[in-house]
Amino acid sequence: MSSLAHLLPLTVLLPITAGVLAPALFHRRGLACWWWALAAAILTFATTVTLWRQLQSGSTISYPLGGWPPPYGIELVFDGLAALMLVLCALSVLILLAARRYVEATVPSSRQSLFYALILINLGGMNGFVAAADLFNLFVFMEIFSISAYALVALARGPVAALAALKYLLVGAVSSLLVLLAVALLHAQTGSLNMSDVAGLLAQAEAPGASALALGCLVVGFLVKAAIFPLHFWLPDAHASAPSPVSALLSGLVVKMGIVGLVRTRILFAEAEIVPLLMLDNLLVWLGVIAILAGAVLAMVQRELKLMLAYSTVANMGYIALGIGLATPSAVSGALAHTVYHATIKTGLFLTAGSILLCTGLSRVDDLRGLGQRMPLTSGALVLGLLAATGIPPTAGFVGKWQIALGALQAGQAWVIGVILAGALLTLGWAIRVINSLFFRPPARARVITANEAPVSMLVPSVLLAVLAVSAGLGGAILLGLVEPLALAIVGADHDH
Amino acid sequence: MTEGLAHLDYIAVVILFAIGLYVVLTKQNLIKKIIGLNIMETAVFGLIVTSGMVDGGSPPLLGQGLEPPYASPIAHALVLTGIVVALSVTALALVLILRVKAECGSIELDELLEPDE
Repeated sequence: MSSLAHLLPLTVLLPITAGVLAPALFHRRGLACWWWALAAAILTFATTVTLWRQLQSGSTISYPLGGWPPPYGIELVFDGLAALMLVLCALSVLILLAARRYVEATVPSSRQSLFYALILINLGGMNGFVAAADLFNLFVFMEIFSISAYALVALARGPVAALAALKYLLVGAVSSLLVLLAVALLHAQTGSLNMSDVAGLLAQAEAPGASALALGCLVVGFLVKAAIFPLHFWLPDAHASAPSPVSALLSGLVVKMGIVGLVRTRILFAEAEIVPLLMLDNLLVWLGVIAILAGAVLAMVQRELKLMLAYSTVANMGYIALGIGLATPSAVSGALAHTVYHATIKTGLFLTAGSILLCTGLSRVDDLRGLGQRMPLTSGALVLGLLAATGIPPTAGFVGKWQIALGALQAGQAWVIGVILAGALLTLGWAIRVINSLFFRPPARARVITANEAPVSMLVPSVLLAVLAVSAGLGGAILLGLVEPLALAIVGADHDH
Repeated sequence: MTEGLAHLDYIAVVILFAIGLYVVLTKQNLIKKIIGLNIMETAVFGLIVTSGMVDGGSPPLLGQGLEPPYASPIAHALVLTGIVVALSVTALALVLILRVKAECGSIELDELLEPDE
């Protein structure tokens, strides 16, 4: 084990420790706390960059916690999937950057340190989740990022936020319990918790029924976390009523954890070869198709900008589920690439929506008419983000969808391409409504006429993410090259048979 | 022991889990939903504890003159962690219910979702 491997637990411990200390150190000192949180997030990002460079030059990094070797000790791994940490940390830094002005304006000073603390703990939980190599820690880290997410939603003002947070909590807690039940079932059968160890032992397990039940519980649990239609019902309220930086965090990053969980589950059961995965794949394809169409249609009928964006997340999670369900190398690598790209696009969109909400106090699309004249940069960033969300080439949204469509052809399911196109057209439909309202209609509200451009600390992350969202598609080949080994590992196991 | 009784614990766990899920899904009172959640949690913890039990096994302690087979100690560590997690979720939920009550004046979900105006 190289000394660099010691950095791996740091990616989890650093944000969580900094988060726990923040309210104690910086009570009622919001600005100092913001610097503290930003420094912790940047340090974590630097750590992941170092780890990632190590991963590029060599093999997977594995760290036995406390020096106890797996399968008995707790193991953290930094593999292709854990490299997602890089995206998590980078986007968290941008979210924190944009959050300062928003938090100063909307959160009472006694609560500001809690806000930053929860964001850091959330980041630490997500990092731990993607790096966890054993089932129980997967559950624990899932609870860390979930509980901090419930609390973050509840930090918004107003009666809707409390109820939305409670709804989110109830659904999230039930899905977590399903995952814990599955962990219990797998542990009862194999006596082990380490995922690769469980996969090996499960092949000789006596009760395939219990394994199938465990698979079912894991899949349903993670489908809820990933907000795949029809288990998405908690998402729009929670994501739309949360403070905008939190919406960006939840919609951009936290829902992706459900996908990570699904991928880990699929790898485990593909290795165990105890339950045929064809049914799971078909389920994902169908749910994905329904989610793409339903999410886009529901986004279309919304009037509030943030609700539109929340339903668009439902549709995009559908694309990712579809890609994984098609189970061909290009479809899965498309789904993984789309996970990264959608995180970038949606974080940018919610941050931009947050700037608009902060500067005008308006959230309905019809009220925002003519805002393009008063806030050209912010509105421009929103437009670029929306175009990327529709997937017009060469934007970031295009690469993943194109790869998934190619994968559908390889899988012999050409009809899926029609669904992908229909989803893109429906998205274009509501995106054009927003663009039209912002740039081509006269202002209808006094607040729009008096609005000023967003402060620099909010503009920089929004514009940066918007430019990334539009141009990152050009680097699609690089990203696809990076996720390809992982995609092959995910589908590889059942292509051999 | 007969085959049916040997798995009595599993049957109890399934029944408890189903009761909890039923309460979470059907009750409109938010406190009752949380109670249902706790019943589900208890069911899962019960499953983990009983799965670590070994028939005729001794406590997993070395140097006490105890002979293998030992019962699995991991199950207890898991349940302890699980209880901590469950406690935090319940605490957060109760705080949120207090806030919902203060801001909306009710903790019955059907009343809360009814449009007042």
